[in-house]
Amino acid sequence: MSITNLLENWSDFRQQHPSDDRPHREYKWAMSIDLDACTGCNACSVACYAENNLPVVGKEKFLHGHSHHWIRIERYWANDGREFADQGAQFLPMLCQHCESAPCETVCPVGATNHTADGLNSQVYNRCVGSRYCNANCPYKARYFNWYDYPTTDNVWPEPMNQQLNPDVTVRGKGVMEKCTFCVQRLTVAKSNARSEGRSVLDGEVQTACQQVCPTGAISFGNLVDPLAKVGKQWMTQQVDLNKDKQAKDVAEEAAKLRGYRILEELRTYPSVMYLEQLREGSI
Amino acid sequence: MYCFLRLSVLLVGLIVSVSSYAANAVQPLTTADDLGPKVEQPIEFPHDRHAGDAAKGGMQINCMYCHTYARRSIVAGIPPLQKCIGCHQNIESVRETPRIKKLFEYWEAKKAVPWKKVHDLPDFVRFNHERHIQRFVFAQNKPVQEACGYCHGDVKTMTVARRQKPLSMGWCVSCHQKDHPVDATSTKTTHGPNDCWQCHK
Repeated sequence: MSITNLLENWSDFRQQHPSDDRPHREYKWAMSIDLDACTGCNACSVACYAENNLPVVGKEKFLHGHSHHWIRIERYWANDGREFADQGAQFLPMLCQHCESAPCETVCPVGATNHTADGLNSQVYNRCVGSRYCNANCPYKARYFNWYDYPTTDNVWPEPMNQQLNPDVTVRGKGVMEKCTFCVQRLTVAKSNARSEGRSVLDGEVQTACQQVCPTGAISFGNLVDPLAKVGKQWMTQQVDLNKDKQAKDVAEEAAKLRGYRILEELRTYPSVMYLEQLREGSI
Repeated sequence: MYCFLRLSVLLVGLIVSVSSYAANAVQPLTTADDLGPKVEQPIEFPHDRHAGDAAKGGMQINCMYCHTYARRSIVAGIPPLQKCIGCHQNIESVRETPRIKKLFEYWEAKKAVPWKKVHDLPDFVRFNHERHIQRFVFAQNKPVQEACGYCHGDVKTMTVARRQKPLSMGWCVSCHQKDHPVDATSTKTTHGPNDCWQCHK
């Protein structure tokens, strides 16, 4: 792809769905999050910290926006005309959406973030040079930068606590970008086990850390290619199509009954996470 | 003005080239023969005696008799002391040799032998022994020692194992790009995965 070709046919490139000509054959990992079930308890976030060796940065750095919550609970308040809302919080767990046409991938100057064959948006730490372009271009703000060398100079995991680090996940050093991986270390193990038995990964065989701990089961995760997978069925019933940037159901009359939507779909990012809208009292 | 510019460019160029030459001279990135460093082991384990050819006085023991996890786990596994003793308690002929004596000292002290790592990959790399052994030994029916040797070299001729291959990313990819037959009989070929996240974690 030469640069002149890219510039001349820019709109074509943006219109094109990235996996149109290369459909996912074996796996397409996807998630759906039921906002009606989400109670905003933050268990998913805590599980993610434990699973993925995320540093706890402390109040001061958190205020500077240096926190590392790969999955964070965003709060939205219905303030109903009051100056400060005191009730009616709505929660939205926000994580890397693993976009099929990820804005972060196109801007990385060193190719540290790529799309994998399984439809994941990969981040390779040892290739990352810390330009932070990806962070700037991510509409979901789901990427986190290591401003400090947390394991050494900041000593986030002092002596006995370094034993809790997950050996399957790199402990990131200073100057690299990181983000939700859909617990790729678990996916790799599940895929390898399935391969040894000559089958593909069964639905429910692999869970992400956030899904595993969610007390209300709001998060489901699975292989969208598998017709029996719960996630695929959810996407189907909600009539959300991975490969469309505008869902057909949205213009239809009965759309109000369907709760599925993807965030900032109109930016043509083709995210892999579907949210199920919260049911409001008025709509019941 | 231009004169100054030219001069400064020349100077910078000179400094850079000299310093890079100096850096090269001090520490070469890889040794010419890709050999790893010599690793001092607590007991000088003779791989040649155990796995070597019978004609050369070896016992021709399968690699996976001791490194038993290679076919079913991410790591190949260093055998526990029980495995050594399991055979050696019945081998009277070498019972009084210095290395075996040392081995039994560990056994009687109920301590594991502190073997040192020879093939040490960086922390950001995930290498799965199982996948490679399943592919080459079980699917393609390659001899075990040949399959292990792709990465570990000809261990059956060594005493203490030493890294023989660079184990760099380029070296891994050079094999992953090749077409490998999917099994012993089929003509269908496939190549290794080239996804970043297959190996990087």
